[in-house]
Amino acid sequence: MKNPEKAIELIFDLSIPFEERCSKIFEFQSLFNSIYGRFIEPFGLKPTDKPDPQDIPLFPIRGFKDGRILIETDKEPDLIFKSSGTSNMSRSIHRILSRQIYEKAILEEFKKHFPFNEYIVLFHLPGYDQNPYSSLIWMANYLIKSDPSGSSQFVTRENLDELKFQFQNREKKILLFGAAFGLMDIIESGNFEPVEHLEILETGGMKTHRREMTKPELRHALSDGFDVATDNIHSEYGMCELLSQMYATGGEWFETPHWVQVSIRDPKNPSRICEPGEEGKIGIIDLANIHSCSFILTDDRGVMDHKGRFKVLGRWNPEDLRGCNFLIDHE
Amino acid sequence: MSDLQIHIESVSKAIDEWLQPDNSELKKAIDRTVEEGLFSFQDIKHQILVLKSTLQKKNLEIWAERSGLEYNSLKHNHILCLHAGNLPLVGLQDLLAVVLAGGDYVGKISKKDPYLLPTLIKKLSAYDLIKEDQWSTDLSAFSGIPMNAVLFAGSKSSAKEVKSSLRSLNMIDDQTPTLMRIAHFSIAFIEGNDTQTMEDLTEAVFRYGGTGCRSVAIVVAPYHLDSEKCEFTDYVESFWLKNPQHQKPDESLFYRYAYNKALEIPQAWLNDFLIEEKLSHPKEKFLLYWIKGDFDTLSNLVTKYADGLQSVYSTSRYIGEKLEDYHIEPLSQAQAPPVWWKPDQIDTINWLQKKVAHH
Repeated sequence: MKNPEKAIELIFDLSIPFEERCSKIFEFQSLFNSIYGRFIEPFGLKPTDKPDPQDIPLFPIRGFKDGRILIETDKEPDLIFKSSGTSNMSRSIHRILSRQIYEKAILEEFKKHFPFNEYIVLFHLPGYDQNPYSSLIWMANYLIKSDPSGSSQFVTRENLDELKFQFQNREKKILLFGAAFGLMDIIESGNFEPVEHLEILETGGMKTHRREMTKPELRHALSDGFDVATDNIHSEYGMCELLSQMYATGGEWFETPHWVQVSIRDPKNPSRICEPGEEGKIGIIDLANIHSCSFILTDDRGVMDHKGRFKVLGRWNPEDLRGCNFLIDHE
Repeated sequence: MSDLQIHIESVSKAIDEWLQPDNSELKKAIDRTVEEGLFSFQDIKHQILVLKSTLQKKNLEIWAERSGLEYNSLKHNHILCLHAGNLPLVGLQDLLAVVLAGGDYVGKISKKDPYLLPTLIKKLSAYDLIKEDQWSTDLSAFSGIPMNAVLFAGSKSSAKEVKSSLRSLNMIDDQTPTLMRIAHFSIAFIEGNDTQTMEDLTEAVFRYGGTGCRSVAIVVAPYHLDSEKCEFTDYVESFWLKNPQHQKPDESLFYRYAYNKALEIPQAWLNDFLIEEKLSHPKEKFLLYWIKGDFDTLSNLVTKYADGLQSVYSTSRYIGEKLEDYHIEPLSQAQAPPVWWKPDQIDTINWLQKKVAHH
């Protein structure tokens, strides 16, 4: 499975049940990723065990900051991604051994929701270009290259005013793929002229914006600001530590590609899967992470519904901190 | 004797009576607290013994002098004290600050510690130092009573919620002075591993399960954890034999142990506690960070973690020295502070007088 072609055959083959693909990758990573191999030992697991996906220990995502999360190999990584952050912050580093796997993961799921024969994709990602290791920028570039019409591109605030002229007589819809705070900046700068058949795909949360907004607030603001029905406001959920992305189309509920499984974990006991409706940390099995770590416990807060879809509710903030802490909720 | 001296004597007498071994009310409160599993008997006993030695009249007088206490400076002022309940009798110092300054104590007693403090309130009310009915475990019991100041401990995020609740209950407005303490951990600097130091360190880290803000969460030592952990573990086991840890960590701590093992971070896994040689801002319970370093290391850490740091402790050579805003305290006093100690470096009496009495 160190061979990318073989890995792709396994990861993306829908005819193989997810459990079987997952079990093979668990064994592979336990054997060849020494960090993950040591991680599972205290749980009493061995590489040859074949645990069900829900019983596989999820590795805390901060491991990408603290360690070199990569299988043993002589090959240099094709790509290196780093999370955004200031020089004082420690940043996650994701070493990608095979760009083919990343490309396949990006394109297969994106096209499922936003096929290029229906959409022109415009990327508005201010700020991300400051990070030369941004996985989001790399993904945007790759999607632009993958659009056979050549229409998809990066846009600035100014370019947006020219949309009508640039794409006269277009038959396709425009998908504006933007960082949430950048999209809000466009709205707040005023005078955005409504564009026909426009849809919005937001990503990245509000972490660098002036104020925190909830997802429903953001969706309504985008809907009002761009004069787009909320059915046409979509979200992307991805991160530098994951090769796969998830999309929520027309609402807040995300669905996963067939090679990804999401569960909501009890922050007090990450081995326990929360009931639908119960908030917890988002746990992700991303088989595309075959050469780093596929079994990830994020620090994001989420909730699942009865259909297996999930919502992202922000960052998980621990409540029960050390020290004296008077909490109204608990009193 | 001045009016203030007479007042302090009166407070002292009430406390002495409260701490008498034959105080059946206090005994009942202790029994009930233990029966209901709120705190361990050993932790309550420790707290009571500390109060017996620190709440003597002479110490109240020292506090009065240090803080510039004026007689009845808070008269007719309602001071709301929100008790966090993470340790037995936590916030008792706030109650005494209000009573010593002649204010009207209004206490939101924690449901996690509902029996112990009311026995002292009752005793103080017998001396006409406090109104007996001015406490409750339900905040809404004080709805509509305008407060002149609020004292509590929390985090920046919980403060928003607390203030919003108090506003909606018409107890405060935007002008009401609020003293919120946010410090949640302390640092110890040791130079050796002699018995006294290690016993004091063990007490400073593990008393109350390490949940107090005076509890040590970072230790700076001249040794790496790996070379010291066997010996230190012996001290911890000996402490736990006498003081079984009442609160247990949740399963996420085991995940942390597995994570450290994966990344080969030096650690000592004690089942109910984790010690690791890696530095991070201490937020989590049941976790001690062990750092190899010297006084300069300590100094850097104090600067780095000033936001959230309660106290800095060491042994004889450094006691009393100043680091940033912190006077280094004796390690042995981590869990036995003098009555005049300043949470978040602020003297409560002094603050109340400045913000309420002289305003």
